[in-house]
Amino acid sequence: MTQIIFIDAKWLGKIQLTKELENFLKKRRIKSIALFASVQFTDLNNFIKQIEKIGIKVNTTKAKRTNEKIQILGCDCYEDSFNKDIIQDSDLILYIGDGLFHPKALLLSQINKKDFKSVIVFNPSSKKITELDKEVIEKQIQKIKRNLKLFINAKNIGILVTIKPGQQYFSAAKKLKEKLEENGKKAYIFIDDIINLNQLENYPFVKAWVNTACPRIGTDDILNIEQPIINIREALNPIKALEELE
Amino acid sequence: MYNLELKNLIQEIKKRNPKQVLIQLPDGLKNQSNQIVDFIEENTNTKAFIWFGSCFGACDLPLGLDILKIDLIVQWGHNKFNKEEW
Repeated sequence: MTQIIFIDAKWLGKIQLTKELENFLKKRRIKSIALFASVQFTDLNNFIKQIEKIGIKVNTTKAKRTNEKIQILGCDCYEDSFNKDIIQDSDLILYIGDGLFHPKALLLSQINKKDFKSVIVFNPSSKKITELDKEVIEKQIQKIKRNLKLFINAKNIGILVTIKPGQQYFSAAKKLKEKLEENGKKAYIFIDDIINLNQLENYPFVKAWVNTACPRIGTDDILNIEQPIINIREALNPIKALEELE
Repeated sequence: MYNLELKNLIQEIKKRNPKQVLIQLPDGLKNQSNQIVDFIEENTNTKAFIWFGSCFGACDLPLGLDILKIDLIVQWGHNKFNKEEW
């Protein structure tokens, strides 16, 4: 059997509170932050001390799928992705990293919340500060709603399953197929490694799709395609999912 | 610049003694794959190969490598992943 080693590839620079970030937080009168980072940037003990020194409480948690506190993955895009709801307990979310895919998960995790918190992205390499607010995912929210409506009304459903070990939910797909067929729909299960959405057009008899692989397919990739796709979590109770978004 | 931990990796490879190792890198590190292969092959008796395709996360490990007799996969940029069961 093939063995596996993971190497975090930690960033080699020093993560420091810059004067610009300090002023930004002070200007907003921030009293507490929910702190997250991608795995390359989770060595934050010194940075946390610097933030606490200016009177700001730092809340941290472990996302359920990760191996380290503070670390966030792209798939941590649901409210219950974390051990503790530190977002609710904080004035603002601060993300340390160099991309936007992970911090967008923090926006998506609040999709049903009335009290929506912005995500401040601090890139320790360029020192740039970027603010992401609800507007960033507004198009996605509209597309998710539209897809849920089309799914509810579709007769023929396609369920997408990947063979990638960490994203493989074949059993859940089979259970969903049974459930959908009990409710008068017809469901077909499609299996592949990478879910290449260009393939969808080859199956015109499918009127709506359910994704069981990476949840970001059902939140982000949907913007690039016409065919409706929803994630399996929403497919289990699409009416409730739609009500929560309205 | 990111810490690829190549010296630690060499020690680990010597300890496990695989005949063939596959390295898998996220897009941002793929341009260093040749240097990693060279470093492994110069410092161990292990043959090293490069995964050509995706490396979305720890959830995305190549399958079927037993057929090629690959003994070890090394993936950079991610750490152990706790899969959510449904």
